[in-house]
Amino acid sequence: MIPLKYNVRNLSVRWLTTLMTIVAIGLVVWATVLAFGLTDGLEYSLRVSGDPNDIIVMRKGSASETSSNITDQAAREIATLPGIEKDGDIPLSSPEFVTIVIKQRRNNGGTTNLIVRGVTPIAKKLRPNFKITEGREPTPGINEAITSRKMAERFETLRLGEKLEIQKTEFTIVGYFEAGGSATESEVWTDINDLTSAQKVQGAISIVNFRATDRDARDKLVEILQEDDRFKFKAISETAFFEEQMSAATAIKVIGYIICGFLTFGAMFAAANTMYAAIASRSREIGTLRAIGFSRMSILVSLVLESITICLLGGLLGCLMTVPLNGISTGTSMATFAETVFEFQFGPKLMMRGIAMAAIMGLLGGLFPAIRAIRMPIVESLRKA
Amino acid sequence: MQLIKYIRRNIFRNKLRNILTMLSIAFSLTLMTALHGFNAMMNFGGETNSNRVVVMSSQGFAGRVPISMLSRIRNMPPVKAAVPFSWFGGNYEDQEMAFSQFGTDPEEAFNVWDEYKIPQEQLDAFTKNRRACVADKRLADRMKWEVGEKIPLVGTFYPVKLELELVGLFDAPTNTDSLWFNWTYLDESLRSATSGAISGNAAMIYVNTKEGESIPDLIKTIDESNESSDTPTRSTTEAAFLKIFADMIGNFKALIFYIGAAVVFSLALVAASAMAMSMRERTTEMAVLKAIGFSKLRVLLLVLGEACLIALLGGLAGIAMGCLLLEGAHNAVSQFVPLSIFQTAGPWLGYLALTALGIGLVSGIVPAVRAANLSVIDGLRRVI
Repeated sequence: MIPLKYNVRNLSVRWLTTLMTIVAIGLVVWATVLAFGLTDGLEYSLRVSGDPNDIIVMRKGSASETSSNITDQAAREIATLPGIEKDGDIPLSSPEFVTIVIKQRRNNGGTTNLIVRGVTPIAKKLRPNFKITEGREPTPGINEAITSRKMAERFETLRLGEKLEIQKTEFTIVGYFEAGGSATESEVWTDINDLTSAQKVQGAISIVNFRATDRDARDKLVEILQEDDRFKFKAISETAFFEEQMSAATAIKVIGYIICGFLTFGAMFAAANTMYAAIASRSREIGTLRAIGFSRMSILVSLVLESITICLLGGLLGCLMTVPLNGISTGTSMATFAETVFEFQFGPKLMMRGIAMAAIMGLLGGLFPAIRAIRMPIVESLRKA
Repeated sequence: MQLIKYIRRNIFRNKLRNILTMLSIAFSLTLMTALHGFNAMMNFGGETNSNRVVVMSSQGFAGRVPISMLSRIRNMPPVKAAVPFSWFGGNYEDQEMAFSQFGTDPEEAFNVWDEYKIPQEQLDAFTKNRRACVADKRLADRMKWEVGEKIPLVGTFYPVKLELELVGLFDAPTNTDSLWFNWTYLDESLRSATSGAISGNAAMIYVNTKEGESIPDLIKTIDESNESSDTPTRSTTEAAFLKIFADMIGNFKALIFYIGAAVVFSLALVAASAMAMSMRERTTEMAVLKAIGFSKLRVLLLVLGEACLIALLGGLAGIAMGCLLLEGAHNAVSQFVPLSIFQTAGPWLGYLALTALGIGLVSGIVPAVRAANLSVIDGLRRVI
């Protein structure tokens, strides 16, 4: 085997070309990881939102919460069903009214749909890790609302103390909440009665969200709600609900893969170029190595390793460059028709994917120049300038 | 002229290296063309200069626009035609929202979209039969529908089922991927299904005006007349309305920009290192050129020209490939890519070509200056 030291020395001799290639590969890996971080972030926010024992009850046939409606009476009946988790004496069954309003993003980001949810105090118990991080909870009856910090940064009139207008009624933002990074963080919450009066649909309920005590109770409840003549609703688990919403995120993911594919090809040619040049200027050296008895295979492995090393360094650089972007929030309405705000997620898995991509670039980029080098007859390569 | 010939010959001297450089530039520019083409498509609506105005609820899509507003708008002087336009969002057979469906007024719809073409007898059939519907030709092709097809739609947004019959196909300049049916049919179904709770909602009103100049005034008149009612409106030009959808994507543009910048910068590095290698191998040659009397400027141009030509050739190939890709996507899945590249083509293609040229310039500048300032003696003496 040719010692690795040989490759490392070689790289440092041509340090400028090596550095340029490393930076180029790094940028490509960076762009790819960025694209995937975006889709992963979006998926995460939708996935974390669902608890398998939480059920959403909607009108049969409706595909989204906003197009659903449930009578007040049915909502009350649902709360009395056996098998619903209780907090003290109160069943964890939350009637909610959901509407979308069109609002302006900050910094001329255009207008988009915003989900406003009217809730009762039970709702927050059905959301993962719901807590008020700043300000306070809204008081029912006086048109107060809360939202997440991410939304406040993203939309006009959503900061603490600002007033959000809904059908000419002004809702004062009195607090920020967090809900474990779930899709709930993309919403504005207010009291259900305040919201329905503002919308002039007093007493309206869009959906009922409840938590079953366990899986068996859940399955039984779903069956009753779907089949029983009193109800005939669409009852699905939150996990399934968000799974449905994720189909649009898949489209974004496909775009991510296309971007990644093209960039990988582009970068591969760049890596190949560097290796061809590195090898061409070394043909005498390679001839010597063969002459003193190194096998073709060991030279091939050594050259490919050299190329992989360059690319891995680039991949590491690219991944490092994404670190400052971790946790930055952004949003899109492409997935759910209303703004979903989420954070870039660069987990270890994604980093590994970036590094693996770099390694593939190195392997393919180095393989062909290396094969060419070892196929050259020793005499010819020794004679070369 | 001699200079150009020399540059051309030089490019094909080290075929492998330059082809690799070109390919890496080509692949990346294909990607950029596809991204920018998609972006141009999203913004395309913003550039339509139709004379249409869209009236929607100030609360957005979930809001209500009463149908009584329609006759009031029709009586406004600059209005040529106006129709309700209600998104149905139904499922067809087992397919969820396979295409868009709108309830509208058959008598006036083709006066509002006066550039859409439909045979007169099909239009008559559309107006006569309450359960009739018409569809975009390309949608009918995709779904393999013939005139006479029964199309059942199960509402998701509205709690009703519609039993429609296809009576006509219309031709639109772009693939609208939509089906139109009679708004009255929807309204009556809703009234009987909800015992009157949901009815009389036009959802949106599309207005065509006689001339574009009257639009700002018309928008003001409509919105002001509804301001103190229970259903305030928000009217916009069609262009601004379509922009709402483009806006929804959010930071997509910024993302394209960042990825684009990273790609361009890394390409410049790749091309520069390739160019530097070429020049290092040719140091002696450059010295000879200078020795036989080539001026500094000529040597500079020689090297720069070579770098630019490589980048430009790769870039143009990439842009062409990107355009083919967009056109192919348009032909294959026109419901997602409704516009042909011939419609979205614009100055941005030129900017991309300039970007390629820029990559060449940046990559060539250092080797070029080095070659121009090379001392003849050193160059001749240098052994590679």
